[in-house]
Amino acid sequence: VNYLLLICSDGDSTEEQEAMMRENTPSWVEEMEGRGVRLLGRQLDGPETAKTVRVRDGEMLISDGPFAETKECIAGLDVLECENLDEAIEVASKHPVSWVHSIEVRPFFDYDERPGAFAPETIPADAETSMRYMLMMCLDGIAESTEVEDEVVRDANAWHERVAAGGEYVYGHALQHADTATTVRVRDGQILLTDGPFADTKEFLGGFALLRCESRQRAVELAAEHPLARFHMVEVRPFWGA
Amino acid sequence: MSTANAEAALQTAFREEWGRVVATLIRRTGDWDLAEECAQEAFTQALTSWSRDGVPRRPGAWLTTVAGNRAIDRLRRQARGAELAEGLAREQLGNPPEDEEDEPEVIEDDRLRLMFTCCHPALALEARVALTLRTLAGLTTAEIARAFLVAEPTMAKRLVRAKAKIAGAGIPYRVPPPELLPERTSGVLAVIYLLFNEGYSASSGDQLIRAGLCDEAIRLAGVLRALLPDESEADALLALMLLQHSRRDARVDAAGELVTLEDQDRGRWHHDEIAEAEALLAGGGPLTTPGTYRLQAEIARCHVQPQTDWGRVRDLYELLAQAVHSPVIRLNHAVAVAMAGDLDAGLALVGELAQRGELSGYHLLAATRADLLRRRGDTAAAAAEYARALALAPSEPERRFLRRRLDGLVLE
Repeated sequence: VNYLLLICSDGDSTEEQEAMMRENTPSWVEEMEGRGVRLLGRQLDGPETAKTVRVRDGEMLISDGPFAETKECIAGLDVLECENLDEAIEVASKHPVSWVHSIEVRPFFDYDERPGAFAPETIPADAETSMRYMLMMCLDGIAESTEVEDEVVRDANAWHERVAAGGEYVYGHALQHADTATTVRVRDGQILLTDGPFADTKEFLGGFALLRCESRQRAVELAAEHPLARFHMVEVRPFWGA
Repeated sequence: MSTANAEAALQTAFREEWGRVVATLIRRTGDWDLAEECAQEAFTQALTSWSRDGVPRRPGAWLTTVAGNRAIDRLRRQARGAELAEGLAREQLGNPPEDEEDEPEVIEDDRLRLMFTCCHPALALEARVALTLRTLAGLTTAEIARAFLVAEPTMAKRLVRAKAKIAGAGIPYRVPPPELLPERTSGVLAVIYLLFNEGYSASSGDQLIRAGLCDEAIRLAGVLRALLPDESEADALLALMLLQHSRRDARVDAAGELVTLEDQDRGRWHHDEIAEAEALLAGGGPLTTPGTYRLQAEIARCHVQPQTDWGRVRDLYELLAQAVHSPVIRLNHAVAVAMAGDLDAGLALVGELAQRGELSGYHLLAATRADLLRRRGDTAAAAAEYARALALAPSEPERRFLRRRLDGLVLE
């Protein structure tokens, strides 16, 4: 089973805690890569660099900041391949950010459940170094009609093909509903689990795409071309140091 | 074979076999809804078949096989289920319903798997409780909804969501590996005890169903104990619940009023259950590193002795307060200190708790203080505390009890 770990910041942390997380994250990466459970991951630039893109009546609307206006924010991601949720929880609980903030564990969407949808290929070997922007497909939790869903799937397939053909697409995946999320925190050596996403908002992450496009302007354009920008919204975030 | 006999046999089978049938089908198919539906159909078919042909020698095996056949039929009708159905069919062949040989009880493991999966910590606590009652105990969604005072569609949604999470998030259907077992076992025990307390407190909701929750909790603890014979806390939890439950008929008098422990008619206690609990605790060995259920069970055991040894209760609460940081436990400790002979020290401890404000709004804080003041003969102060407790008490029987105490003060 594949999982996306959303490395989340709960807001406040001391300089000491920041230093501790910086110091310990590389050995976590090394350990999890060695075990073969971590496939890909990277830290994102701060939430102040986020742009949220919507398209309404053919017009592109861009707002500054992440899709959900909470003090918690997504600070990075890791893609895992694990035996089951217990293993994903164990891996998340060893990540130093979970000792201070929290990590949301989200299972990947199973494309077998939607035949015909774009199924991503394997992760390219240079994915981690070449990816520069992350698109987060944000849903508002209100179910769409079947017609809209079919339209989104059709247009998303075309979008993927186009962006991949242009050499700008690295990797991406749809996620299962936020109801399947588990949030992991470690406090005083105890693993604390919460059923549900890290932040209690009506909007939630429905999928992501990792791009290697040239500029933020280009990433915003590609976000606006994605069908979910028409019905929901797409957040654009640069990776740290990209 | 009469219908009445078949019905009686079926009722017994339902209590004993429902969880087993569902647990086995979930393992074989991975589909919780399918497992429940096919189990339901097998029990329905049993009523007809058993009235006509007699009760099979091994009702559990009969039900499991019939439910398995139903599952095969349904899976064959789905495009994606064909392969699974054939695998299931091969497995069924080796397990005919009237197999005279007693096969090794591998089936037991399925119920244990089901318990650990229902009580997985990545599920919300309320979902764990609901799922345990539905899949292991076989309560209907409507019954669970009534027991927890929520609308039936709300409860149905809770169950659907929990099952979707188990399947979608990859919660494994298994007995946890050794490194997770202690923590996960205490999670299962906590759900069982929560179920029991829901039934025991019975301050609201459908009384009959709530009382049934106590029986279910005791039954589940018995199953868990049989499946995890080395887990002494499972023994202790079962003993604790038996001791509390043994007083059920004496806790309320003929007029429906609450009766405190010291005023209860001990002839109405279920002494067979007390003896069972005593036997369980006797097997627990010395109190060197007791678990929290063991400590609570030992306290409950003190309370069913002809004379309560309050000094021992006080010592046990001291140990418990060290293990669990709970103001309610510290309140009980204060009571034990007072009852063991030092009323002033007990009152001082209650005063400290009140000052810390952790129990503000908890009627038993005021009620306890009132009771200790009454015992000291401090009538005016006791009356004021009873009045405060009355204003905070959540249920009518408790308010009536406090009112009687308050009235009694004036007479004294």
